[in-house]
Amino acid sequence: MHFGILSYYPGGVNVTTQAYYRPRSLAEALGLLDEHGPAMLVIAGGTLAIPLINKGISRPEKVMGLRQAGLDYVRPMDGGVQIGAAAPLSRVRALSGIPLLTEAVKNVAGWAVQNMATAGGNLFAPPPAGDLAVVLLALDAQVKIASHTRGERLVPLADFFTGFLTNCLAPDELVVEIQVPKPAGKVVLLKYGRLYTNTPAIVTVAVRLIAKDGYVKDVRVALNAVGPHPFRARQAEIALQGAPLQTEVFAAASSAASSECEPFTDPIASADYRRRMTGVFVQRALAQATA
Amino acid sequence: MSEQSLNVVGQSVLRRDGLSHVTGKTLYIDDIQFPDMLYLKMVRSPLHHARIQGIDFSEAEKVPGFVRAFTYKDVPKNIYTILCLIGVGPDEEPVLAEKEVLFKGEQIAAIVAQSEEAAIEAAARVKLDLEELPAVFDVEEALKPGAPILKPWGTNYFVYEGHHCRRVRFGNIEEGFAKADFIVEGCYEPKPIEHAPLETTGCVAKPEANGRITVYTNTQALYFSMDNTALILQVPFNKLHFVGGTVGGAFGGKVDVIVEPIASLAAMHTGHPVKYLYTREEEFHVSSTRVAYRIYFKDGVTKDGRIVARQVTSYADSGAYNRHTPYAATKHAANISGPYAIPNVHIDVHCVYTNRVPTSAMRGFGVTSASFATELQMDKIARTVGMDPYEIRLLNAYRNGDMRPYQKVVSDATLVEVIKSAAEMVNHPLGKRFQAMTSWDRPNSPAQPEPVSAEKRS
Amino acid sequence: MASKIVTFTLNGHETEVLVKPLTTLAKALREKLGSTATKCGCYEGNCGSCTVIVNGEPVLSCILPVEEVEGQSVLTLEGITPPEGLHPLQQAFHENFAVQCGFCTPGMLMISKALLDKNPHPTRAEITEALSGNLCRCTGYDPIIAAVQQVAAGNNGNQGGTHE
Repeated sequence: MHFGILSYYPGGVNVTTQAYYRPRSLAEALGLLDEHGPAMLVIAGGTLAIPLINKGISRPEKVMGLRQAGLDYVRPMDGGVQIGAAAPLSRVRALSGIPLLTEAVKNVAGWAVQNMATAGGNLFAPPPAGDLAVVLLALDAQVKIASHTRGERLVPLADFFTGFLTNCLAPDELVVEIQVPKPAGKVVLLKYGRLYTNTPAIVTVAVRLIAKDGYVKDVRVALNAVGPHPFRARQAEIALQGAPLQTEVFAAASSAASSECEPFTDPIASADYRRRMTGVFVQRALAQATA
Repeated sequence: MSEQSLNVVGQSVLRRDGLSHVTGKTLYIDDIQFPDMLYLKMVRSPLHHARIQGIDFSEAEKVPGFVRAFTYKDVPKNIYTILCLIGVGPDEEPVLAEKEVLFKGEQIAAIVAQSEEAAIEAAARVKLDLEELPAVFDVEEALKPGAPILKPWGTNYFVYEGHHCRRVRFGNIEEGFAKADFIVEGCYEPKPIEHAPLETTGCVAKPEANGRITVYTNTQALYFSMDNTALILQVPFNKLHFVGGTVGGAFGGKVDVIVEPIASLAAMHTGHPVKYLYTREEEFHVSSTRVAYRIYFKDGVTKDGRIVARQVTSYADSGAYNRHTPYAATKHAANISGPYAIPNVHIDVHCVYTNRVPTSAMRGFGVTSASFATELQMDKIARTVGMDPYEIRLLNAYRNGDMRPYQKVVSDATLVEVIKSAAEMVNHPLGKRFQAMTSWDRPNSPAQPEPVSAEKRS
Repeated sequence: MASKIVTFTLNGHETEVLVKPLTTLAKALREKLGSTATKCGCYEGNCGSCTVIVNGEPVLSCILPVEEVEGQSVLTLEGITPPEGLHPLQQAFHENFAVQCGFCTPGMLMISKALLDKNPHPTRAEITEALSGNLCRCTGYDPIIAAVQQVAAGNNGNQGGTHE
């Protein structure tokens, strides 16, 4: 027995959603999450979720939108910035005070999407998307997570991602804030796509490097689009830590990054090409970070 | 004609629909709404090649808002081919599949309902009893013995006036090869390209009180669509009133007759306006693409850079049905020897059927694919012989008075002048001999016309 | 949850619309409010044809739930078209052949207006960045950029009518 294909729901037609909740506070949002459970879809900007609902691929009965829940702030904290999970990317771009985050937001789609998509939402974007997350990793960002009954906890972003579209959230938890320290040293972001702008990544590289007396004092190398989620290239970092600032060292680190990534093939690029470009762009980022 | 009598030539003439477009008043197909309009969604094959053993509409009929389902039995003349109007045959594509489907996404049954949601829900619940058959996806595999046969006449190729391919013969190819110092071979494979217009393919068919059907459509080919629809519905041509000319992008992707016949049939039988508009997924997955080719070149070239023999075997992938591909392949055959004077030419272009999405027209169809191949091949020849790529083209370019391989004499040639001009624009130096070349420098050229003096031109 | 009434300002007029939960702004505009100038080319926020302006910011109406514009101000192409004549951007698009099939045109006009409202004298790079989320399959983009540059060059501080 077969069924016909391409019987998607046309755009804007949403017959399965019975309820769309718009809580006015975090407490209300957490209460609704507790009440309705993980079957309720949580969205903020909706730029990832509504397309799937439009196509009939995602058919949630209940949806909660976080735009009104008081999570859209971008405010300074001691030595950095606190970004509400529902802060629009355009607000992050304008107010974060961290130039690399401005660069990261510029990489995300076009202006209208930047107005709608949110910092927290970007953490749930399937690779090769996730342009903000890769920068946040290089900057040692932390994620504040809250639940109705168990309060708040702070998790390093590197521990947030557990697999492809999976993370460390319990079913009753929400991401409520991202805390980003102001980076010391030099930061570089390189996104390689088929087009100059509004393009999915073949590979994205974010590097933060502190040099001292001709040696690498501290370094972060974060990658995206070459694995199931944004991640730090630990082998590359180990190759760089304490090493002299030399081309050979950068080449070895690039090679390590290339080996440790787990690229996939999609309509944008083959896994093989992604792996090779990882090496190329890590090398370029390191050269720029030490220029 | 004196220049004083020209009113439009030389002027910048604004689009007559520009004001409507910039004010948002233009109505595209999805902007057309009627209060009692119904929506048509298509049940499409999930398999590349299958026999249809049965269709069960019982679950679909239970969906609130379901109006009617249509199968091939409802279509008066179900088998057609678009270019039958200009003598291309035979008819081989069904409006709705009868016993077999030949590509994934092929139309099997049309569901009409009171809302888009109901039409999609009902279409999703239609049960298909399909027996999967072996499929073939490669043009050369499709021509090998043992390949699954896709056409009722027992082959996987279009028949050109009794021949298995479109052929061009000129001179004597074996003698040509005998004169060559180099044999240069190449294989070029332009791929299918989706037009991706911003507006998807669609129409609204509306039955009028006087018995006519008005069809609002974004087709590029109003007369093609109207005449084919009349033949398919077996109605007099004047029963139909096609309204169009507003096309939200097409590039050749809206010249197939695919939505109007079934929408018109549905309007006739339900008494309501019926909208059949592709989703973006349908536009990508099932609408036709540019024809893909696999083109083999074998050229004989002398050491001073003259191509003395060209043998081309090209396979056009028509996908599951004709559409415009037999015509594209004919144009391709004419153009694949390139704009060059080659004394011995042997061309075979096969129009091959595979279980892929039917290919059709797109921007210079048949010709652009040929140019892609001929010019890559020319660069390869230049490298083999050790000649400059501009100069080897100037040497081989056709001139006025040359006989083309398809038996037409060249006149009004400007190729030599254009190549020289291009070289000048990019500061590419040419040898003296090549600088002196013109389109009239052959013994058999007609007399070069007097250039118009500057005084006469002003 | 039953259908609900969403109230917002559309092109300067207070407007009510009755919608099922999570209906998009594009669907509400096009099917409930007779406002068809806003086009939908993809329904997934990729082509930009559905661009409208909400509280001065460009957004994609095909992926925006209409509940999210409750109490907000929405501007569409119908709202910048004067009763007579054309908005300078419309005139410039028409004159520069920035319009061929016209399907991307409403979205392009809205994003261009949003840009010039914030930045009356953008560089070419700023124009291309602002318009990068809007696809055009016909013009090759240069005539559109030229049209925006032409309007920007004519800006002396006033925009020639925002018509809100």
